[in-house]
Amino acid sequence: MIKEMEVRHSIWIRIFHWTNMIAITLLILTGYYIHSPHGFKLFSNMDTPRMLHFAMAYVLCVGVVGRVYYAIVAKDAKNIVFSIKEDTPKFPSMIKYYMFMADTHPYYGKYNPGQKMMYTGWLFLALIQIITGFVLYKPQMFAALGGFLGGMIAVRVIHYVVTWLFVLSVLAHVYLDISEGIPVLKSMFTGKLPADFDHGVHEDHELQTGESIST
Amino acid sequence: MPSKLSRRDFVKLCAGSAAAISLSGYLAPFMAEAVAAGAPPVIWIQGASCTGCSISLLNTVHPDIKDVLLKTISVRYHPNLSAASGDLGLNEGIFKTARENSKNFYLVVEGAVPTGADGKYCMVGERDGHHITFLDLVKELGSQAAAILNFGTCSAYGGLPATPPNPTGCKPVGDVVKNVPIVNVPGCPPHPDWMVGTIAHILLYKDIPELDSFGRPKMFFSQIIHDNCERRQYFDNAIFAKNFGDPGCLLELGCKGPFAFCDSSTRSWNSGVNWCIRSGAPCLACTEPQFPGWPIYERMPEVPVGPAMTATVDQIGGVLGAAAVLGIGGHLAGNVMTGRIGGKNEEKEGDI
Repeated sequence: MIKEMEVRHSIWIRIFHWTNMIAITLLILTGYYIHSPHGFKLFSNMDTPRMLHFAMAYVLCVGVVGRVYYAIVAKDAKNIVFSIKEDTPKFPSMIKYYMFMADTHPYYGKYNPGQKMMYTGWLFLALIQIITGFVLYKPQMFAALGGFLGGMIAVRVIHYVVTWLFVLSVLAHVYLDISEGIPVLKSMFTGKLPADFDHGVHEDHELQTGESIST
Repeated sequence: MPSKLSRRDFVKLCAGSAAAISLSGYLAPFMAEAVAAGAPPVIWIQGASCTGCSISLLNTVHPDIKDVLLKTISVRYHPNLSAASGDLGLNEGIFKTARENSKNFYLVVEGAVPTGADGKYCMVGERDGHHITFLDLVKELGSQAAAILNFGTCSAYGGLPATPPNPTGCKPVGDVVKNVPIVNVPGCPPHPDWMVGTIAHILLYKDIPELDSFGRPKMFFSQIIHDNCERRQYFDNAIFAKNFGDPGCLLELGCKGPFAFCDSSTRSWNSGVNWCIRSGAPCLACTEPQFPGWPIYERMPEVPVGPAMTATVDQIGGVLGAAAVLGIGGHLAGNVMTGRIGGKNEEKEGDI
């Protein structure tokens, strides 16, 4: 029996997702080592993690720019950008669903407002990390910017706090994805999701196949 | 000794001067010539300071400080070193010099300017039976000076006196006097070469040196300690000192070298004998505008989490992480109990 599949993630979305995931994971691991070489004994010297950290910083820059460009050009932005006016009213029903107070939820589009908020937030967090990261990487070049941001020690604290935010939000992201079902995780590799996949949507908001879920 | 030293050579000399040669000693004859040819006078005043910057200047050992002060820098008044004191020092040394050389003398300020209570926290003298506050003195002299040289972090950025809670309302000179060129030579204290070199540049070229975005002469403050640190190899090899006196990089003991702009690592102190890191003390980044607004022996300051409460970022992250794991666990249990994971999907699969 061949299941009917529909495209959920285009090839570009998948490429950017996994390059960014690799970059962010390595940045976090090397970053914790650079922050605390005694507490986070993952490497044996500073050379490898620093080189990796700086290389992955550039990979993340390209990934962020590329993902934003794709979102604009492919009109993918409406799927992932959180709109305070439109998405905020949808929160109660989503929270009810996640709190098991409701069995179903209305149809939100490709992503629910919580996901949109997280993905939009990641863009800003990534931008903060890129800016503060370069200030710490090239203090001579960005001395004035460092001063504007409250001094280098403040830049260092911001960079580290945002790292923690990434770790915590990635934790939630991975859990929610897997708990939604293995097909969802698989779709980030293959791009396809079974057409009849249960998104927990109301019967009366039956999924319009191919309308906005495919990109 | 040649009497011409091009500005380019001068800057190169200042920036490149290694511990082996004494910058002040090399510059002294040039400066003496400039003074003899009528270089502008210098007035040195002190406010909320510890006199450490003056002591550091006295550390100019070759030539000795007597020659620097009497022959090479035309210092008309210095609160600790002038023989003249009281009315004589104030009227003759300061006010007469300022009057006669309006817009043609250089004002060296050491120490922050207390602005609280109309500046009454720092009285520096008397004129016509009235007290003179340091605030008024800086304002009056500063507006007449060709440029103000802030020697030390206190006058340049506020430094120790301006650190919260700052009851005396100390401010850097740049916040008190406007529209006058200002050269910041920060440091706690500044290296004698930085002070003598800055004065020399002004005496020789009658112009202030090229400054970075924080008003510091680029010839002394364009290096990062961490980049030229003699303990850098320890950092690269991840050998970190856990206790004071250990060999190793001092980062874990709170060294601020990676963002401290200063050339001590190549210049060394006390005529090239030693410097902070070599003697086992972590860099405090005393040349930075935010000094000393950070924990000196900690890698990172704690962040406020509530009224009068602080915590390390790791503590906050750990608590939030534990909360996230608990939340995930609870939600997972809920998912299984309601059949969202397991039960319902399998039913669906069976339906197909």
